[in-house]
Amino acid sequence: MEKQQPMIRLYSVTKRYAGGVTALDGIDLEVARGEFVFLTGPSGAGKTSLLRLLLRQELPSDGQILVNGRNVGALPASKVPDLRRYIGVVFQDFKLIARKTALDNVAYVLNVAGHSRSEQRRLAYNALRSVGLNHRINTLPRILSGGEQQRVAVARAVVNEPELLLADEPTGNLDPDLAVEIMRLFREINARGTTVLVATHDRELIQRMQRRTVVLRDGQVVDPGTPER
Amino acid sequence: MKLRQRIHRLQFFATDAWDEWRHSPGVNLLAVSTLAAALFLAGLVSLVLGNVERRVEQLRDDVRVRIFLLDSLDDAGRGALERELRGMQGVAEVEYVDKAAALERYTEWAGAMATLAAELEANPLPASLEVHLVPGPAAEAVGTAVAQRFRRMEGVEEARFDRNTLHRLEALLDLARIGGSGLGVLVFSAVVFVMASVLRLAVYARRNEIDIMLLVGATPGFVRGPFLVAGFGMGLVSSLVALGLVEGARRGAQAYAGNRALVLLDLVAAHPVGLEQAALLVSVGLLVSLTGAYFAVRRAV
Repeated sequence: MEKQQPMIRLYSVTKRYAGGVTALDGIDLEVARGEFVFLTGPSGAGKTSLLRLLLRQELPSDGQILVNGRNVGALPASKVPDLRRYIGVVFQDFKLIARKTALDNVAYVLNVAGHSRSEQRRLAYNALRSVGLNHRINTLPRILSGGEQQRVAVARAVVNEPELLLADEPTGNLDPDLAVEIMRLFREINARGTTVLVATHDRELIQRMQRRTVVLRDGQVVDPGTPER
Repeated sequence: MKLRQRIHRLQFFATDAWDEWRHSPGVNLLAVSTLAAALFLAGLVSLVLGNVERRVEQLRDDVRVRIFLLDSLDDAGRGALERELRGMQGVAEVEYVDKAAALERYTEWAGAMATLAAELEANPLPASLEVHLVPGPAAEAVGTAVAQRFRRMEGVEEARFDRNTLHRLEALLDLARIGGSGLGVLVFSAVVFVMASVLRLAVYARRNEIDIMLLVGATPGFVRGPFLVAGFGMGLVSSLVALGLVEGARRGAQAYAGNRALVLLDLVAAHPVGLEQAALLVSVGLLVSLTGAYFAVRRAV
């Protein structure tokens, strides 16, 4: 039987910033389709840089990045929005549009993908309900608590049923109970087939979840973890 | 993309533009006022030029020779002149204006200053024959010939066919048009720059939002859409406001001129801005604001 193409494949990826700072130093990494992987390491290890490269917010200085078989670094600018529509992202600082309600923030992703207005509202409502925020759909982000904002961000990341979900310190601003709640949501999403890659330095959370953990230090993979079978 | 999808997208751009307007009205009001002020000035110039042009057109069509008669000319002499004039080619009509009618015309024209004439003991104005010519390219030559021939005739004090004033007025109008166009280009370049700067402020205020939109898969065109629709809306609102202000100013000027017998002011405010000029003003407003919006957002996305 033919081996399934991995969701993420990094070949000797290096990222150097102006001023000579090397964030990633020739790393190789593979994440299989449907896997749930933690990316951990101390601050400055290169976790955020790696996620930024996967989302094509930046280009690698060297090496190749394949996401779902697509060479991210070689994608023409016009194809970047397509790539991002198949990746759900949860940021540490939520990145919600301040003047839009919770529902409109979630629906925006569907809007850019060309869904009809009624479909946008229905799917966005369902996503918000799945994170327990169906009673807050018409609320602006500034009225929501940090945990609620993060749940809106999660709803936005999953509403399009992405093939890959990236999360950068998604529990960094949350209390432990909420952090567990967010992880429960990620596990549910992963159970539906979405590949999940979570960058975090919360060791307690990683231990509780018992999933593959890739450890980065000084821009290098010091432990690739054990891939799930 | 299907038509229905395009319509939905446009609806979203319009809703989003309005939503953005409500959240930061200050910057948007500044942009609209700047553009409306420039368009108001352009509208005023257009109003004045339009009315002067209309008057010049009337003068151009009103081709007539005035033959002023000596008081000593009797009815038989006047009749002979009239017969001779009517026999000439290119003459459409000959009208006799007696001294009383001439005074009446003067009184009507002079308005408040007509009391001066009333203070005179005798009517100083001469009777005249007004020779209306057939309008057309030959009218000018006919008029000149009639004036030259009749001013030498017995019983005639003066024969006047003065086209110089009209020619000077036409030349002035041409100059005003050229100058106005040059000034217009300069002013509108400046307004595009100001609009682009003001809109750039709006874009800058939303740079986080723009980043988020791009990160969740919006195309640059999708992000630019609401800004361009907002630019279109601003152009439309600004030009309509400017047109309203021009019409208000025209009516105000008319009322002011009517009360004080200001003939010139009355002349330049006689008719509203024409449909063509109004359409041009709106088009310029839309073009300026769309260009400004495009340049503002192009730098950010």
